[in-house]
Amino acid sequence: MSPKQTNLLQGTLDLLILRALGAGELHGLGISRRIDQMTKGTFQVKPGSLFPALHRMEEAGWLSSLWGDSENNRRAKYYRLTKTGRAQLEVETEQWQTIALAMANAIRTS
Amino acid sequence: MRSLFRNLIGKKRVERQLDDELQSYVELAADEKIAAGVPPEEARRRALAEMGGVEPVRQAVRDRRAGTRLETLGQDVRYGWRQITRNPGFTAAVVVTLALSIGANTAIFSIVNALLLKGLPFPQPDRLGTIVRQDGDSGYDGPHGISGEQWDLLRDDVPALYAALSSRGSNGVNMEGRGHAQFVTDDRISAHFLDVLGVHPMIGRNFTEAEDQPNGARSVILSFRIWQETFGMDRAILGQTIHLKGEPYTVIGVLPRESTAPLTGDVYTPLRPSRSGEGGGTNYGVIVRLRDGATWQQADAQINRAWADWAKWLAGQIHASRITFYTVSLKKGQTAVLGPKVKALMLAAGLILLIACANLAGLTMVRVSRRAGELTTRMALGASHWRVQRQLWIENLLLALLGGAAGIGAGYVALRGLLSLLPVDFLPVSGVSLDGRVLGFSFAASLLTSVLFGMLPALTLKRLDLRSCMASRTVAGVERLGLRQALIAGEVALTMVLLAGSGLLIRTLIYLETLPPGFNPQGVMTAKASLDDARYHDPSRFRQLLNESTAAMERIPGVKVAAVGLSLPYELVLNDQVTLADGKEAGQQVGTDATYATPGYFEALQIPLLAGRTFTADDGPNAQDVVVVNQTFARKFYGGANAVGRTIRSGSRTAVIVGEVGDTPIASGLNPVAPLQTEETMYFPAAQIRDAAMLALVHTWFQPSWIVRTSGPLEGLTGQMQRAMASVDPGLPFSGFYAMKDLLAETLATQRLEVALLGAMAALALLLSALGIFALVANIVSLRTREIGIRIALGSTVRRAMATVAMPGIKWSAIGMALGLVLCVGALRAMRSVLYGVKVYDLPSLAAVVAVLAAVTLLAVTIPTLRIAYTDPSRTLRED
Repeated sequence: MSPKQTNLLQGTLDLLILRALGAGELHGLGISRRIDQMTKGTFQVKPGSLFPALHRMEEAGWLSSLWGDSENNRRAKYYRLTKTGRAQLEVETEQWQTIALAMANAIRTS
Repeated sequence: MRSLFRNLIGKKRVERQLDDELQSYVELAADEKIAAGVPPEEARRRALAEMGGVEPVRQAVRDRRAGTRLETLGQDVRYGWRQITRNPGFTAAVVVTLALSIGANTAIFSIVNALLLKGLPFPQPDRLGTIVRQDGDSGYDGPHGISGEQWDLLRDDVPALYAALSSRGSNGVNMEGRGHAQFVTDDRISAHFLDVLGVHPMIGRNFTEAEDQPNGARSVILSFRIWQETFGMDRAILGQTIHLKGEPYTVIGVLPRESTAPLTGDVYTPLRPSRSGEGGGTNYGVIVRLRDGATWQQADAQINRAWADWAKWLAGQIHASRITFYTVSLKKGQTAVLGPKVKALMLAAGLILLIACANLAGLTMVRVSRRAGELTTRMALGASHWRVQRQLWIENLLLALLGGAAGIGAGYVALRGLLSLLPVDFLPVSGVSLDGRVLGFSFAASLLTSVLFGMLPALTLKRLDLRSCMASRTVAGVERLGLRQALIAGEVALTMVLLAGSGLLIRTLIYLETLPPGFNPQGVMTAKASLDDARYHDPSRFRQLLNESTAAMERIPGVKVAAVGLSLPYELVLNDQVTLADGKEAGQQVGTDATYATPGYFEALQIPLLAGRTFTADDGPNAQDVVVVNQTFARKFYGGANAVGRTIRSGSRTAVIVGEVGDTPIASGLNPVAPLQTEETMYFPAAQIRDAAMLALVHTWFQPSWIVRTSGPLEGLTGQMQRAMASVDPGLPFSGFYAMKDLLAETLATQRLEVALLGAMAALALLLSALGIFALVANIVSLRTREIGIRIALGSTVRRAMATVAMPGIKWSAIGMALGLVLCVGALRAMRSVLYGVKVYDLPSLAAVVAVLAAVTLLAVTIPTLRIAYTDPSRTLRED
């Protein structure tokens, strides 16, 4: 799926996941918690949307995954950004800023 | 793409990894909560609850994955296939229904395809045409033969067209090549006929214009078939001489193997068009090719301008206000008669398909309601509406494909059978085959059928209420019966139209076949031979042949009388013009059928003599010219007054009517109203023909018949007749032997075919409708077994219970019949032009149709209700 076609909501989730992984690799729950933290609790990503998104983004080549041990010695699947993932993060960030600016302007002028 | 493969191939591994991942998520979340001080058990429960269940997440991920669609499609197809194979009864019913209906459509469509859709196999077929005539008042709009005069005008004054002529129809002639005499069909064509078509001889050359002149060099072009069968594909035949019509002809060419209509002759000779003789009347067929740069409109205008005087003259002759000509494509010209009939058959086949759809919709609805348990369980377990719908559609599609394949097989068999019924060269095409277009059509028809019959159950499913269905284990079963009943009414109505239509055709055929023959066909054998032969152009040689051959045949043991006539009852007869020469009718010009006869003709056929006498050996070339007329002639021209003793003039000769005989039905020529009718006919003695040119001319058109009446058996007679003929002239082969019933069958071939085809369609429709009614009632019986059990337990009789259940079937069939009658009012009117001796609204045939439908309905409702008689109330009640 080309980035242009991603709709707003899906785009939002993708951008949040990409940003969450920007600092380093995380497992599913970690990503969820990180997004919670980043958005100060505004977005609580449920596994029902998180995992489909992760698998889709992995298939798109934005993420790679590997199994590792968690801080409390649980086996977990960790995700990290690939090169294309980083590029995608930049594209989506830019897109989002454009939209956000446009929306902000739109709301202010009305 | 790689992940697609991974997902499809390493499915198990991917699934396990996903399970592990979700598992670890729950554990991590629980750990978090434990760290926050929640007891472990409670922490785990909350973590799972937060996730909202493992299975939906798993399904959501699966749906996201590449290749999921393909994979579930595969699952659905496999599942559908299992469903289909698990219910052989249902599957067989659907496949057989489809096979019959698609088969009928395939067979008829392949004829439509060959006849109407495929282009003619000539270069630029859209520039090939023929000329038709439109009469102002009579409404005649159809084929037109042209005269020698018209030909000269067409060739010289119509620059838009490149035109050529042919004899209309084939002439039977005798051919002597490589030692033995053989009867062949000779198509006479003008010099550029092959050029207009764009056909080149495979070897050798085309006719030259010089050869196409009267008295030009005699040359012949062979068909591939004759070249192969008679001449062993010998190339050296070119330039050699063979004998045709008793004269030497030089072989100049051989046509290619795949020659097709209008090139259907065994051999081809130059037509040599002229303004006299054959060209004096409208006896030539014409084909045209539009020249480069010209348009058909220009051609039409030029034709009407060139033929203006001629058209005025003809209009006066046939009492039409105005006559115009126009060009039509050669294809259309060739299929003018057959086209509408074939289209009507296609329509009938379409009705069959509709009836089949109604049946199949009913069947699949029952299936869906039977599967209510399974379907609702799947939906309760989380399958979406769409997924279940798709499952049903896939099953329909699989059934349609199975049925379509079976239908194409059935269609192939039906087509072979159909073609074997047709007379040779009945269809003006080289062959009818199941080509890509036919297969595409059949495939599309089965898909369309599957959509039509799948729609109803799918709609039913849309209104499915999970909870009530789970409870009752049926899908809206009973209330949906209403729709099925309406479908039954619809198919009965359509069946009624088809039955009524074929009923009318059967009545027509019966009428035509039982026309009073006016002669005695028992004990008569006839044989034809071509006298289009240079040896018999001389009237005295012709006389001698007739005398000696009939005498030889009368020597056959058991033969009472032998005679020769130009034509026989049931056949097409020569048209002539004569002038009534005396009384108040003196000077009146009339058209009449005319045939020559030897003494003994009326006695051999036992045509009754009504007044005067028949011909005797004394009516020779030097005696007074005499004629015998039939009853219609006397009635029509003399108002029923005694015709014997009156005189008529033909050319310079005046003949006395010496006898009046009874009418016999003939194939109509003068004024075609029905395929068989009685027309005014004049008989004249063969011995009084003195005009060699006239003798030659009638024998290019007609082969005379030798008639033998025997008191012995007909078996073996043909061989004896052939030997008798050979004793007179060993070089004169008979082209065929016909009992009178064969001639009747040949004249009525089209009508017989119509009856056979439409009758078969109607029978098919009847069968399908009966199956539909049967299935409906059987379904009601099984749905209401319990209720019936209660009724019987409460004291109702079996008979009353049977009646209750059978009622809907009978009621809706009756409604269908009423609807069918209404449809018949409109539909049967279209058949008027093919009905003879029977009115469009024919009470006996409609009554018969209603009786048949009623009987079949009763049968179809009775068989399934018989089950009730064996119902044991105590058992049915215990079942639930």
